[in-house]
Amino acid sequence: MGRYILRRLLSVIPTLIGVTLVIFLFQRLIPGDPAVAMLGEHANAENVARIREQFGLDKPAFLDRDALAEGDLPGFFDSQYVRYFGRLLQFDLGESIHRRIPIAETLKERFPATVELSLLAMSIALVVGIPIGILSASRRNSFLDGATMIGSLVGVSVPIFWLGIMEIMFFAVIMKWLPSGSRLSSGIVIKPITNLLLLDSLLTGNWVGFKDAFLHILMPAISLATIPTAIITRMTRSSMLDVLQEDYIRTASAKGLSERIVLFRHALKNAFLPVITIIGIQAGTLLAGAVLTETIFSWPGIGKWVYDSILGRDYPIVQGVTLLIAIIFLVVNLLVDLSYALLDPRISYE
Amino acid sequence: MTELPPVTEEINDFAVREHRSLWLDAWRRLISNRTAMIGLVVVAVFVLSAVGAHFFWKYDAKMDLNYSAKLLAPNLRTTEKSTQIHIFGTDKLGRDIFRRVVHGGWNSLRVGLVAVGISLSIGGLLGLLAGFFESTDLNRRERTILMAALGLGLGALPAWIARQPFQAVLFGLLGVASSLLHGKTSKKSSPRLVEYGLAGALIGGTSGFLVGPMVALVCGLVGLSIGLLLARPVGGKVFSSIVMRVMDIILSFPSYLLAIAIVAFLGPGLEKGMIAIGVVGIPIYARLARSAVLSVTQKEYVLAAHSVGEGHGRILFKHIVPNILSPIIVQATMGLANAILSAAALGFLGLGAIPPEPEWGAMLGDSYKYLSSGAWWAVLFPGLAIMFSVLGFNLLGDGLRDALDPKMRV
Repeated sequence: MGRYILRRLLSVIPTLIGVTLVIFLFQRLIPGDPAVAMLGEHANAENVARIREQFGLDKPAFLDRDALAEGDLPGFFDSQYVRYFGRLLQFDLGESIHRRIPIAETLKERFPATVELSLLAMSIALVVGIPIGILSASRRNSFLDGATMIGSLVGVSVPIFWLGIMEIMFFAVIMKWLPSGSRLSSGIVIKPITNLLLLDSLLTGNWVGFKDAFLHILMPAISLATIPTAIITRMTRSSMLDVLQEDYIRTASAKGLSERIVLFRHALKNAFLPVITIIGIQAGTLLAGAVLTETIFSWPGIGKWVYDSILGRDYPIVQGVTLLIAIIFLVVNLLVDLSYALLDPRISYE
Repeated sequence: MTELPPVTEEINDFAVREHRSLWLDAWRRLISNRTAMIGLVVVAVFVLSAVGAHFFWKYDAKMDLNYSAKLLAPNLRTTEKSTQIHIFGTDKLGRDIFRRVVHGGWNSLRVGLVAVGISLSIGGLLGLLAGFFESTDLNRRERTILMAALGLGLGALPAWIARQPFQAVLFGLLGVASSLLHGKTSKKSSPRLVEYGLAGALIGGTSGFLVGPMVALVCGLVGLSIGLLLARPVGGKVFSSIVMRVMDIILSFPSYLLAIAIVAFLGPGLEKGMIAIGVVGIPIYARLARSAVLSVTQKEYVLAAHSVGEGHGRILFKHIVPNILSPIIVQATMGLANAILSAAALGFLGLGAIPPEPEWGAMLGDSYKYLSSGAWWAVLFPGLAIMFSVLGFNLLGDGLRDALDPKMRV
């Protein structure tokens, strides 16, 4: 087991290097001169030179064979990618082209907003999806089961950005119940501790702030939660159905245990493993979905930031945030794999 | 002696029932499944309307402009305010939304189809080969090809450094030699290591010397390690693990974030969207095909084909491919749904179709800013089109899964 965990941990390293390589290669996809593309046609020479310097665009991409031919061995390794990788090792994600602020700095402000939104969305998905999945599995082919199946199919088919727009239209424009964008109304202040507004306002006992933050996060969280909820419901249901056909479940029912005990004590534990895997994969859906959801609700998180940066051609930001999301996704899936190893005694790891 | 009466017992054996092919069987099950039929009908409506509109209902997006009819609500009867019937209303430029939704279908479905085509053909083939060679010993010719490719591929590095393409060829030949000579000097692997290491260092070093001493040093070292790697011929497992590791890297990005990022760098456009969504989908099919192949390669009919001496290509395409088609067909149908969703997301972010060109996601992205003026129709209908087409493919995929499941065959 210990060796399995170690091997799984080590296997992340080549993947991580591959990820940085892919993100580095994004730059090569830019048609034409990257420096000009980043700054626009009318950029002045000084700025173009600055960008060239920052990205080492005058250097070759991977290895400098000309330097080597002249007998310069260290110069051989002085390339764009090696520089990029070296900076990453020092947690330097580069800086924004237009605002000239280090990406890591803006990330500190923006990342908590996305984390808060994703965590709430995931909580909604779990709280709604798992019980409905269990219930519809235990009442197979009932009206409830049919409604669940249809609902979850619609849930995975609806474009979340469209759902967000429809929510805004109904709850904000027509009914005027909920605010349609940003994290807080102007004039409301929450003392920052973790920068998760809901948590901070609870910690400081700021009920007005909590209510306001909650009303703001409700719509984006619900639209972001749609797909994970649908998928978790489906997965819980089908995995429960598989387990409920096992012999030990029949035995448990036959010896007269109540349905509730059979369901929750015997079945749920074993039905939960595939659900955990799905939760890991859905973490990626949430982070990627944030780009769309945050754009619609003007939520000041990293997703909106990526969108704005795409429009402004601020490529280093797109690269930095994509890398961050990929790393989070990798870590979450690593944790899922490891928890699998701990939770399922049937799997043997040599 | 009495003669035995002739046997007139009725044959009641499943093996002698009316012959039906798997596909006919699956089709019958599909059309008897109500939800699958709904999916099929929805998909048919979208496909037929999009194709029909593209060929028979002329629409010039660039000329479509009518400020006098801007943002009109849906109407089924003409009034003095709107002299024409717009059953879905009009958008900010006075364009008929119904018309654009129907024509947008051509673009959205096309993106989905091409993207799935890219993922399916590349991913499916890679997965097929990876799974097959992972579980089957390579024959001599295949091993030689693999080793030559490996030598060429690795040799490309020193060849590039020294600007001498022939080096790569030499390393390719070294790989061929390793494959062909293997088995004659079996068991003793350590002398082979020395021989091949030396050969590699010589190939890299001497030719590198023509450029400069440092180049000779670096190419020699690189050549040495390539030689050591080539010393023992590798099996198909190496091919499989290289392919699957690359797939893992693509999979470590949340899929449509990667598509968004790729198009963000490539610049907007329908074709670029197709490529990005297609590339991002490759690993799904590679993994699926590989695991499906692995599950059939130990089946009796494949082993039998091996034992009667059928060639690998024939086994792969005659015996294995037909037996792994059904999960792939199901995945491709669901994949179409996903590709349409991703395409819509790209369009919404302004990375899909270039403006006046109609596309569902782009129409939403255009119109949602006018929501506060109450123009709900401009966002409702393109969204419904996306949702129903995706739902249709998902329902069809679900139905196909049940229909193609051999366990359901009665």
